[in-house]
Amino acid sequence: MYAAELVGVTKRFGPVLANDGIDLAVARGEVHAVVGENGAGKSTLMSILYGLHRPDAGEVRRDGHRVVLRSPTDAIRHGLGMVHQRFRLFPGLTVAENIVIGAEPVRKGRLDRAAANEAVAALSERYGLRADPSALVGGLPVGVRQRVEILRALYRHAEVLILDEPTAVLTPGETERLFEVLRTVAATGVSILLVTHKLSEVLAVGDRVTVLRQGRVTGRFTTSETDADELVNAMIGRSLTPPVRRRAHAPAGDPLLEVRDLTVRDADGVARLSEVSFTVRPGEIVGLAGVAGSGQRELIDSVTGLRGAVPEVLLTGTPVKAGRDPRVAYVPEDRHGRATAPAMSVAENVLMGAQRDLASRWALPRAKVRARARDLVDRFSISAASVDVPIGALSGGNAQKAVLARELTRPSTVVVAEEPTQGVDVGVRERVHDLLRAARDEGAAVLLQSSELSELRDLADRILVLYEGRVVAEFPGDATEKELGRAMTGATG
Amino acid sequence: MSAPAVAHRVVASAPVVAVAGALLLTTLVMLVVGVDPALAYPALVRGAVLDGNLEYTVAAFVPTLGMALAFALPLRAGEFNLGGDGQLAAGGVTAAAVALLVPLPPGAAVVLPLIAGAVAGGLVAVVAAPLSTRLGIPAIVSTLLISAPAVSLASYLVRFPLAEPNTGIAQTPPLPDAAHLPALGGSGYLTIGLPLIAALTALWLYADGRTVLGYEIRATGQNREFARYGGVRVGRVAALALAGGGAFAGLSGALIVLGPPHRFVDGALTAPGYTFTAVAAVLLASARPVVVPLTVALLTFLQVGGQGMEREAGVPSQLTQIVQGLIIVIVAVLATLRARRPR
Repeated sequence: MYAAELVGVTKRFGPVLANDGIDLAVARGEVHAVVGENGAGKSTLMSILYGLHRPDAGEVRRDGHRVVLRSPTDAIRHGLGMVHQRFRLFPGLTVAENIVIGAEPVRKGRLDRAAANEAVAALSERYGLRADPSALVGGLPVGVRQRVEILRALYRHAEVLILDEPTAVLTPGETERLFEVLRTVAATGVSILLVTHKLSEVLAVGDRVTVLRQGRVTGRFTTSETDADELVNAMIGRSLTPPVRRRAHAPAGDPLLEVRDLTVRDADGVARLSEVSFTVRPGEIVGLAGVAGSGQRELIDSVTGLRGAVPEVLLTGTPVKAGRDPRVAYVPEDRHGRATAPAMSVAENVLMGAQRDLASRWALPRAKVRARARDLVDRFSISAASVDVPIGALSGGNAQKAVLARELTRPSTVVVAEEPTQGVDVGVRERVHDLLRAARDEGAAVLLQSSELSELRDLADRILVLYEGRVVAEFPGDATEKELGRAMTGATG
Repeated sequence: MSAPAVAHRVVASAPVVAVAGALLLTTLVMLVVGVDPALAYPALVRGAVLDGNLEYTVAAFVPTLGMALAFALPLRAGEFNLGGDGQLAAGGVTAAAVALLVPLPPGAAVVLPLIAGAVAGGLVAVVAAPLSTRLGIPAIVSTLLISAPAVSLASYLVRFPLAEPNTGIAQTPPLPDAAHLPALGGSGYLTIGLPLIAALTALWLYADGRTVLGYEIRATGQNREFARYGGVRVGRVAALALAGGGAFAGLSGALIVLGPPHRFVDGALTAPGYTFTAVAAVLLASARPVVVPLTVALLTFLQVGGQGMEREAGVPSQLTQIVQGLIIVIVAVLATLRARRPR
């Protein structure tokens, strides 16, 4: 009998099939890793297990019995616990207060602090998770805060503990300690579900692995009988890649984009990028590979000027300007959050960035705005009922073409494209690729970030691999997916 | 679109549903508390437009429209300005102070206090901008919090330094004749404030739809990250929109003070509840700025008519506040339902 089971779980969000008939079973006291690329359906699956989403089909079982989880409260009652990627702690309360919250020991209608501290001390003793019950959470390092989260779940008698990308925020030393803790906790009979995309971690701490790709299970392994290659194959899949179309002439000339020794730290002082250096020359497409969260966001925001003036980034020899440098055309990954304002019209969306060029003094004539938009809609064969409909009403592919139309008609010499074919159909994908190749042939320097290795292999002259904020490898454009996959997951050798 | 289809869209639109629903519910409330709707509604209409009341309704329309702009302009940039009362009072007291203390030639004696009032209102509002962009305190909170001390400060000024001596009443002395807003066609209530606010509304509608600044304000309001990505200085745009809103509020305060009875009476600016009537009107107009003057007119009609209803039919004017409150609730419910509809 399994501690927790997901049987035939299917979940659809609009047109996206996030989980497609997934079976997953976790035995008592095992560390079970769930791996997959970004968007493979891991988070959705864990949200279903924790009662945050309800499956369209399939069921959840605990100790062999079917349970219906309508909310996390239900899940907690059934002995499930979850440590989220972003901690949900109160920085102004103590460790003990954070742990007992929702199930406080009460004496005479008030919180019994002494009992809380005692219970937490006993708990941390039992599982070997050292944490001072009376310390304020706000002053603790990230690794200890995570331990508090784990203790909170255990305090609520969690028998199945879900950890969502727990090492994303940790230093290597803290990661080591976390793994020790997980093994100790598992030894007491608690089952652990570890969601991750780092294969080295899976092999280090997991007992068994379930691999997801595009919402389906593509592999089940026992870690002692598998290796990184086998997992990479299951994760990325062996899609037949067509012969790569290359140009006859090599890129030449001074680099249009140069990044020199760039280090970026987040608000907590954690390095998100470390000593990144590379160049992109005119007529060259440089691919950027790496699992999500390896520093792509920080690198691209630095290159486009959205992180402010970054002296380490040079465009045509001079530092990037703050607040969107006009020398960069940028196709963002987040189509609704950043690339468009979905409720505004197509015309007003393709206007962004050119509004001052089109204006006569302060006035922005609507006729001009519309005429320009119609021209772009024709040239880039965007199908829209009119340029006045909200861009959010267009299909993903047409919205993406509109974004490309806006960006590629800017007077820019550097093109940054981020997941440019995410969520578009095959036809649009071809068109997007043609447009990027055309920009390259006209002498632009193109930086292409993609999680689709076949896309990088189709387009890029060189591929850089980011791993934990560092460029760990550089490959020629015809590198095999296996080579790339290994570098992306930090597998050495 | 065919005529029936147009009719359907108008009838089923949020403002119409909200007003109809609110009136229906208010009628129910009347029946429950034992008020005869057949008496109350005619009294309401008479109170608003008949028996010479129309003039008064139009006079109340002016500051309400001004306050609607004060809320609507920042709202276009995604900032909620709920501090209208403070900006209104600051504008009013500043205008009164300038008119009383600075000797000015005719003409300038009207124009300068108006400008000073607008500037004061703008300054009170713009304090919220750095709090929002630098410290992440939402404008909806900071404007509201700043409002109370601003109202109190105006109240202090009019009770002590600017008070009319030897009366003990919290009001300024009457403003000099040169500072009185010119009346419109010999009317007792109507001043050039009406054409002024109408012109400013037209200017705002033009700027919103057909200028670079209007476009950048709307882009900032629709999706701040999109605007930032496009190179718009979103912090500056948001601050500008808040300042502009505050200036409209300050100007409204100045218009009240320079109009009859030509003095700043403590509480007279905030007591009629222009600010929240205006907020209700803008929310009722939902995303369409052109509709704002119409919804302001409707709610002013209810507001003033409600007082008439109280005088004539003995129906508490709070009933019209119930109408207003219900309108906001229904608009909010409709908006939520629309957002929750599966895409």
